[in-house]
Amino acid sequence: MRKNSLSRQLIVGVLLAEFLCAALFSWIAIEHEIHGRRRAFDVVLRGRADSVLGAVRDAEDPEDNAIVDPTELVLPKHDLYEVVSPSGRVLGQSPGPALLAALGSAPTADYFDFRVNAERYRGYRLNGMRVIDRDDNGGIRRPVTVFYAAPTRNIWNETLEAVRFYLVTSTLLLAGTGVALIWFLRRRLSPLQELAAIAGRVSTRSWEFVPPNIVLQTSELAPIAHSIEELLAGLRESFERQRQLTGDAAHELKTSIAVLKSSLQLLSMNPRTTEQYESGLENLLVDTERMEDLASRMLALARLEEAPAESSESSDLYVSVRNVAERLRPLANLKKISLDVRGIGTAKIPIPTEDAEVLCSNLMMNAMQHSSADQYIVATIDLHDGVTELRVKDQGDGIPETALPHVFDRFYRADRSRSRNSGGAGLGLSICKAIVERSGGTIHIQSAPGLGTEVTATWPVAQADHVPSELGASTAH
Amino acid sequence: MRVLVVEDEVKLAGNIAQALRERCGFAVDCAENGLDGVAMAEYQNYDLLLLDLMLPGLDGLGIVRQIRRQKDMTPILILTARDESEQVIELLNAGADDYLTKPFDLGELLARAKALIRRAKGVSQPVLTVGRISLNTVEQTVRCEGQLIDLSPTEYRLLEYLIFRPRAIVSARELLEHLYDYNWQHHSNVIEAHVSNLRKKLRAVGEETSIETLRGRGYRLEAPEKHL
Repeated sequence: MRKNSLSRQLIVGVLLAEFLCAALFSWIAIEHEIHGRRRAFDVVLRGRADSVLGAVRDAEDPEDNAIVDPTELVLPKHDLYEVVSPSGRVLGQSPGPALLAALGSAPTADYFDFRVNAERYRGYRLNGMRVIDRDDNGGIRRPVTVFYAAPTRNIWNETLEAVRFYLVTSTLLLAGTGVALIWFLRRRLSPLQELAAIAGRVSTRSWEFVPPNIVLQTSELAPIAHSIEELLAGLRESFERQRQLTGDAAHELKTSIAVLKSSLQLLSMNPRTTEQYESGLENLLVDTERMEDLASRMLALARLEEAPAESSESSDLYVSVRNVAERLRPLANLKKISLDVRGIGTAKIPIPTEDAEVLCSNLMMNAMQHSSADQYIVATIDLHDGVTELRVKDQGDGIPETALPHVFDRFYRADRSRSRNSGGAGLGLSICKAIVERSGGTIHIQSAPGLGTEVTATWPVAQADHVPSELGASTAH
Repeated sequence: MRVLVVEDEVKLAGNIAQALRERCGFAVDCAENGLDGVAMAEYQNYDLLLLDLMLPGLDGLGIVRQIRRQKDMTPILILTARDESEQVIELLNAGADDYLTKPFDLGELLARAKALIRRAKGVSQPVLTVGRISLNTVEQTVRCEGQLIDLSPTEYRLLEYLIFRPRAIVSARELLEHLYDYNWQHHSNVIEAHVSNLRKKLRAVGEETSIETLRGRGYRLEAPEKHL
């Protein structure tokens, strides 16, 4: 694909504007030139007509006529003139083609254009009064009309000359400014290239991006540089988080394998009794199950964090909560924890039943792990303000304030040594978050150390057909 | 020998401890987090520290730094699930002596543990001799000119500890600290009983090397002048 060059576009744009300017200017200048030359030509015509008038003499004939004395005239040789009396008699004319004959009829306007043998002429009519034999009585007054014409070829030639001058000058100026412009633009656009070069050097190994001062001092580039900086900071953070995550996952897996391997090697190191082998094998099975659990949780999380679900599967949150509560009840009874489900009879959420049950069991198991005997765990399903809400509340030991922002992070354990013993890998809440957010919901956690924890998941209600029913309570024990 | 294992994965720590006890005859203490680990290492005089890298409280690197800052020369072996060389370099430069990546071979861990202890005590080979007695730390056997001496595990450990420091006076308290872990009831007369048994067994094979009791000061492994 051919790339658009900003500098090329700028240069072309500026040159085009310059060219239009030059053309317009030339056109106006030429118009002005032609107009000026025409006026000058007309003045010349009048002057020459005047001098022809001046050459009218008394013919000293019986009719006391006047004639034009050509000896007194010095005129360009291509010019034509004809002097006529009011009676139409020709008093004198230039050698060459007869002017009035060429015109056909006598023109009425002062100035007139005509052609003789493809030669363009412009003429002038001068109505003059010639005083002959001037004396004390004033002499004889003879009205005459002078027609004077000159070829216009020269005006055109001169105009063309002027046009050529303007065109050549404009072209030279255009070329000169074009070169200057290219140089100038290249120079001025260099911060952009520097910015690109610096941005190009950024990689996952080297995140350094320090825009040079010239970039930061350019009002158009500074925002770009800043947004690149911000973007890189964000990317770096997420990249680091990803790397941390991969490292954590590897750590968990390798530790799990290390446990398994060391248990096996320990068992085979010394000869053991049958009972020792049996308990060793039992231990190995527990280790293996833990690893299996870790692997399946990691896979579940990977699946959930992929692109959002295409299917529009939905399930009844109430049913899921009830089912999970029934399944966990034996464990709750064993730990003497009271497990309640409260809320509306039906609440459709856009989550497949399987995921909904994982969500509920993770939340309730978490609550149970942090609760002790004679405490309550309440799972409430609620519908209000256009949202479906699931709250799981316990009266356990709570989560320290410093740990609270991280509880949804993968592999995060508020108290690692303790939760290790309880078997979690720190993925439970991450899975919950992934399930809820994948379906367009939100999840958040509130906790007061010593008083308990409440996890709330909410979804916007898709259809309006959910009618809150009577609060139905189902209580363990 | 007494070893501290700092590992938050309780089962793994248990396995390592059991292997060290069974195969090397070491006394082993375990800590589940970095803060406990560093407190125990500072309080007690261990012959080896085995640290996990990722620990709650204080990580392995932090423990190494804190221990080395206090001029504690105890050998440190790091267990890590990460094997990025940068991290390994950082660890070794901070003062760790060796590292093993998880999942490791338990046999290798034991061999490295023994080698580190040996090195720290200025010995490079696994067989130590004093007088006519040779003690093989790999086989955990003691021979007098090729003849096997049958020792109980505690007697072996006692002799092993003393043989690393021939002619030095070792207090009963030090022996207690290095031969037993925290789970053991400390009674110094237990040591006296084991020393007495060991002395008898050495004399039975006609060995001149003996363990001397210096009242109020401790014990000393004494070999005849010509043999040392």
